[in-house]
Amino acid sequence: MTETKSRDTVLQTRNLQKSYGTKGNTQQVLKGIDLHVARQEFVGIMGPSGSGKTTLLNVLATIDRATDGSITMEGSDISGLKDKELAAFRRNHLGFIFQDYNLLDTLTVKENILLPVSLNKMSKRAAEKEFHEIAGVLGIEELANKYPHEISGGQKQRTAAGRALIHLPSIIFADEPTGALDSKSASSLLGTMEDINRKRDVTIIMVTHDPVASSYCNRVVFLKDGKVYSELYRGDKTRQAFFKEIMDVQAVLGGDHVDSL
Amino acid sequence: MSRLFSEGITLTVFELALRSMRQNVKHYYLYFFALIFTTGLYFIFATLQQDPAVQERTGSSAEFSAAFQVAGILLIVIAAIFTVYANRIFLKRRSRELGLYQLIGLSKGWVVRYLIIENIVLGLSALILGIASGALLSRLFLMILLRLIGLDEVVGLSFSIPATIQTALVFLMVIGLTSFQMAATVYRSTLLNLFQADREQDYPSQPRALVAAVCALLGIALIGYGYWLSDRMINQLLFLNMLLVLASTILGTYLLYRVTIGWILYRVRKHKNGHLGLTNSLSLAPLMHRMKDSAGSLTLITVLSAMTITLVASAYSMYYSVERDARWALPYDYLFENNEQAALSFQADLERQGLAFEQGRIDAIRLVGNVYGDLNNAEGTTRRLLLLPAEQLQHIGDEVPIPPYGEVVYYNARAIVEGLEEIGEEIQFAGNEASYRLTDLAVSNLVNYNVSGIQLLASEATIQAISEQAEIDSEIETVRFDTFQMEDWEGLEQSSTIFATYVADDPFWPDFYSEYKTGLQIFGLLIFIAAFLGLAFLISTGSILYFKQMTEAEQERQSFKTLRQLGFDTGMIMRGIIRKQAFVFLIPLVIGILHAIFAVKAASILVISDITVPTVIAMTAYAGIYFIFAILTIGYYRNIVRRAMS
Ligand SMILES: Nc1ncnc2c1ncn2[C@@H]1O[C@H](COP(=O)(O)OP(=O)(O)OP(=O)(O)O)[C@@H](O)[C@H]1O
Ligand SMILES: [Mg+2]
Repeated sequence: MTETKSRDTVLQTRNLQKSYGTKGNTQQVLKGIDLHVARQEFVGIMGPSGSGKTTLLNVLATIDRATDGSITMEGSDISGLKDKELAAFRRNHLGFIFQDYNLLDTLTVKENILLPVSLNKMSKRAAEKEFHEIAGVLGIEELANKYPHEISGGQKQRTAAGRALIHLPSIIFADEPTGALDSKSASSLLGTMEDINRKRDVTIIMVTHDPVASSYCNRVVFLKDGKVYSELYRGDKTRQAFFKEIMDVQAVLGGDHVDSL
Repeated sequence: MSRLFSEGITLTVFELALRSMRQNVKHYYLYFFALIFTTGLYFIFATLQQDPAVQERTGSSAEFSAAFQVAGILLIVIAAIFTVYANRIFLKRRSRELGLYQLIGLSKGWVVRYLIIENIVLGLSALILGIASGALLSRLFLMILLRLIGLDEVVGLSFSIPATIQTALVFLMVIGLTSFQMAATVYRSTLLNLFQADREQDYPSQPRALVAAVCALLGIALIGYGYWLSDRMINQLLFLNMLLVLASTILGTYLLYRVTIGWILYRVRKHKNGHLGLTNSLSLAPLMHRMKDSAGSLTLITVLSAMTITLVASAYSMYYSVERDARWALPYDYLFENNEQAALSFQADLERQGLAFEQGRIDAIRLVGNVYGDLNNAEGTTRRLLLLPAEQLQHIGDEVPIPPYGEVVYYNARAIVEGLEEIGEEIQFAGNEASYRLTDLAVSNLVNYNVSGIQLLASEATIQAISEQAEIDSEIETVRFDTFQMEDWEGLEQSSTIFATYVADDPFWPDFYSEYKTGLQIFGLLIFIAAFLGLAFLISTGSILYFKQMTEAEQERQSFKTLRQLGFDTGMIMRGIIRKQAFVFLIPLVIGILHAIFAVKAASILVISDITVPTVIAMTAYAGIYFIFAILTIGYYRNIVRRAMS
């Protein structure tokens, strides 16, 4: 977190706090989180159930507001923005892959993917080109005219990923994108995300329970009780080696299964 | 929920129903309000029907009481259709809740009992509230009615027990009907479709090109045929024609919604090639997904709107033109035929009363003649003709032209109503060698319509020639008319009673004022009933649309949330929603108005005057109230979109 590094920093938080509930009955979920994410980083967020991962992601993604602390993204202080400005910020800079896809039932795959483009300053031709490129990478080009109810969960998740990418966001937030997928679909999606992360210069922040999924990341942040418990950098390690390290930390942290009971 | 099992079921069912109603009040406040409204409206109607003052007025006329009875039945039908429809939407909206009860082990019988109790409580409270508000408002409505039919006296209106009983009976029937519907729905549906009912959507598939194109064009063709026929249905097959017009227009409208519009939307969407944009994603796409489901209700709304507008516009037009129609039929306030003595005595009476008037005299002739040139009859038709001198008419203030010598003009205020286009070209008067040219047909009367003989205008010279040329034995009757024109309405009112004493023995010798008053009473009642039914129709159609949109808004809540999260703000989302609502509300209104224009045009032959102004006023009023529902709907959506993020 030195000054020299901040030039490359896309996202930075200071003492980020979030509480739920009303006066007298508040529950502090995030208890002061300091985090910085460099450009083009692929960051995994792990931790036991209830540790505040989704909450953190939502606050970072400006879908939810922090109770205290500051978030700086793309050089601007997010905490001071009004709802409308936040919406514009999301529209222009952020992409989302929700755990339960959140595709619009009434739109086809192509229409869903092109949805974020509509208000951006991208021409129809550029959007069309972008769509074909992304759909090609995601392997859903031939599904373009199908409705969400006609495609599988993995295909839906890839459609959601396409929607997150189409408008060339600088940061993508993904909440358990592989949660509902079998291991083959999961690794295919993760491979694509890794690819996109490298080639397209996007930063990805992904919440996951799955050590395999997080082994695709450059860095994994572990949360516990609303605080950063530890961080692991992949560096030059192989995915297998990184996976082992992640497993070790998880064992110390306490398995999800135990915790969620 | 656990209390359900520990305590006696019946008590708990009742409690649960009450609690659920309290929680759901915001969900069905409009249903409840509409129930109260229809109850109140029906109660007012029944009160008026039972009111002695009204009965005294209407009892004398079979038409009046028949009109009341028919309107009463129509009102019941509307109330039934409306509540059944609203109930269907509610059952659909609550299907998850009902599924849940069954999932936790409650039987279908229990769910039905629970629903029926709730329905009865809801229905009875609506009944009480409706009767209460109806009782408060019925005086106002009575005053409106009496004003419309031209009676100023204030009548005391007490709370009517028979009306209450009548209303209660009708609404018990409605409650019974909806309860039956609830039972049928619960027993018919499986748990699975209860849980899926709120996700029910149809997915637009590529329409089969040929079938779609044929059906789409057929829809338009059927409507066109209906319009075309509506203009030509006055003949021996009037009733059959009316049925044909109705059937082809309604079927055409249904096809229009079911196929044509869907087809057009499909083409537009295909043309967009995936680049829908937010606004279209929120209007075009959901519309297409519900076209199949909506076609029925949109048709119902269109037909109801068209019927309402036609009803109100025609009734209002007739009421609006009562005075003019009476004036067209009776250009003179009072007319005496060949009765100079009576005229003199009437004049003296008027003077004694100090009433201002103008008096005139016309000397005309009445004779038989043959009209030639009528395409249907080469032989010529023999008719009784009344020849009136233009100069004398001008002299007493009628601005008629003076036809050249040898020419006559036919005058008939009912020419259009009777479908007369031309009666002939030539007239030969009895006993005359020469024939005279019949040059024109004017749509007005020269003297009051009750005077016998076809009214022909000619110059004095022509008339003199005709009577001079006539053979001695041919019957020419000279007729003397004494006319009276009053200066003001007060004078009219007083003089009308005086005039009545002169024509007491003649059952058919009307005067302008009594004709006007009778028209006012008949059409006043008609417009009152039309407005009453119109209001009930309007509230029903508006509510049906509102309910439907409410349900759709609930279903789309998750979409709004997603869109908000993606960074679209409320304003952008509302733009799409407003476009959809414009479509949903405007299309049935526009098509309904179009239907109504043709229907009003077909009905307008009953009225002599031009009815554009009253028709436009009636349509504007309808559209105005209708849009309140659109605004309510948009407000509901806005609330949902605003709250979607939290
Ligand atoms: N809207 C809310 N209101 C109140 N409390 C909430 C809300 N959302 C989350 N919480 C609480 O905050 C805590 C953290 O929730 P969060 O969803 O961030 O956990 P998570 O780490 O994502 O868990 P999981 O792995 O199960 O998804 C939980 O104890 C939860 O009960
Ligand atoms: Mg979570």
